[in-house]
Amino acid sequence: MLDSFLAVFKISLKAIFANKMRAALTSLGIIIGVAAVIVVLAVGTGTKKSLADRFSNMGTNIIFLRQPWDLDSSISSPKDVTMDDVRAIREVKGVAAAAPYIQSSFSVKYKNTSVSLSALATDTDILKAYDWSVEKGRSFTEKEVSDYAQVMIIGATSAQTIFGDVDPLDKTVVLNNIPFTVVGVTKKTGSSGFGFNIDEGVLIPYTTAKVKLNTGGWNNSNRNALDRVVIKAEDFNAIENTKVDIQNAVRNTHHIHPLGKDDFQLDDMASFVEQAKSTGTMMSLFLGIIGAVSLVVGGIGVMNIMLVSVTERTREIGIRMAIGATSWNIRLQFLVESMTLSCMGGLIGIIIGIVATQLLVKYMPSLSAQLSISSIIISAGFSAATGIFFGYYPAYKASKLTPIDALRYE
Amino acid sequence: MALIDTRDLYKIYQVGDVEVKALNGVSVAIEPGEFVAVMGPSGSGKSTFMNILGCLDKPTRGKYILDGIDVTATDLSKLAGVRNHKIGFVFQGFNLIKRTTAIENVELPMIYNHTPAAQRRKKALEALEAVGLAQRAYHLPNQLSGGQQQRVAIARSLVCDAPIIFADEPTGNLDTKMSIEVMDLFTRLNKEMGKTIILITHEPDIAQYATRLIKFKDGQKMSDQRQTPTGAKLSATEEEEHA
Repeated sequence: MLDSFLAVFKISLKAIFANKMRAALTSLGIIIGVAAVIVVLAVGTGTKKSLADRFSNMGTNIIFLRQPWDLDSSISSPKDVTMDDVRAIREVKGVAAAAPYIQSSFSVKYKNTSVSLSALATDTDILKAYDWSVEKGRSFTEKEVSDYAQVMIIGATSAQTIFGDVDPLDKTVVLNNIPFTVVGVTKKTGSSGFGFNIDEGVLIPYTTAKVKLNTGGWNNSNRNALDRVVIKAEDFNAIENTKVDIQNAVRNTHHIHPLGKDDFQLDDMASFVEQAKSTGTMMSLFLGIIGAVSLVVGGIGVMNIMLVSVTERTREIGIRMAIGATSWNIRLQFLVESMTLSCMGGLIGIIIGIVATQLLVKYMPSLSAQLSISSIIISAGFSAATGIFFGYYPAYKASKLTPIDALRYE
Repeated sequence: MALIDTRDLYKIYQVGDVEVKALNGVSVAIEPGEFVAVMGPSGSGKSTFMNILGCLDKPTRGKYILDGIDVTATDLSKLAGVRNHKIGFVFQGFNLIKRTTAIENVELPMIYNHTPAAQRRKKALEALEAVGLAQRAYHLPNQLSGGQQQRVAIARSLVCDAPIIFADEPTGNLDTKMSIEVMDLFTRLNKEMGKTIILITHEPDIAQYATRLIKFKDGQKMSDQRQTPTGAKLSATEEEEHA
């Protein structure tokens, strides 16, 4: 039985190699389709993974409160997000921390060194919200925050850049012509996610920033306005409820009529992650469909050639039937032939896909393409399925010939 | 018991409103070891008769028993196995598969009855030897002469040890010398291997090789008589003439 199957396989191979050019052109559609599917899935997988990595660094319990960038024009007098909101939110059940957040870039001078840094104006709750910890020295005191003290907590990498081997504690650095005393250094987080990177930044009290550093992102007509509020929920699983409670609290401080629209927006990481993931999935799906379409087109090419081949070899089919081939034998032969065509195409396509992905990894690292075994298995399966699906009809047609008609065919 | 036994075979085609009786009640019994020539003008029904005998087609009415198997009661799709085991075909146009070598062509019937590869090769070589072409085993059909191609086809009809060989105008595409070669081969297979040979021809010279001559006309058997084969003699005299 196996012997006979091998023999049929050999017959099919021979038939294919008798027409090399034709076989190559037929397989081309499958080759392109499979290679496209592999590259596309590699890019999709890589993008999704890098997004997930970046978000997981940021903590998924985080909720941002801010004024929407595309504020509804029907809201006549939108209120800024202020410390009143922060204080109200701190009272909400399920909120672990809430910190003001205003970010700006500055050049920080120490002796002859001048470095451009990201400065975050906030208060001590930011440490709780982001799980940052002060490794050396201390955090701000409440009094320092309320007294507009010129104090600074510095990130680990910033400390290294500005001070080198010198101990930064109690040193004075100049930020926008105002001297600040370094009171603490944070522990290195190693994060490179979105938003504020504490390792390469500094923290100062928001009060000091608003009153004394009236420039950059802190130069706002409303002295109390904040960029946003960073909120940490206690329980990720209850984050939706917590969000509703926060919403009610903020509506209250903003004196919004029960039927009025929110003049603020709450974003949590979970929805960011979901959104990013679903965007990634949509993209993969869309590109995958393009790949699938080219596979189908390739499959139609295979079917076309197989139909031609059946017609061309009608007489051969008649001979085989006369000497004892059953309809099933004939069907198997043509199915094996179309499967071989599409699987060879698939194999070449996989090789091209892998090589192309490696080239992308090497020359376009920003795409963060990542070859996945599943994409290879899927496309191998797809090409075999294409062979069966589009080879079936021609094979069926061949097997339905009667020996006399087939033998009579000229 | 007759090897081939047909009773009252009818083959009726419906062409528009007209019924065409390609076979009109044919009964023939052929014993093992006979060498039968079937003759008749075109349209006489001899080809239809042969197709039915070769299990390539089924009669509209009547009964056909082949080596104890009731072919008329067997599904057409199941006849492939019967053809494989009982019948070897030799055609006018040789009908070899062009892209495969002589020996692969001879092996072909054995692929369909699941003979192991090693045995396939061995039996195919034996068959080629029997037709005197062992040294051409690995040639492609287009590297062989017409007579040689027909001998490959004959070897192919032998490999499954089928008791019957159907030869449909086997010399139709061959010149006289090659025809004689091929007909001598048939005679040998008949005499030495005991093969039952049924031969369709329209050449009386070729029919002379057979031991029995059946003539067809208008879908009916017109005559059926035994004869002393003179074909061998003919070829001998021709060879003398050539010499």
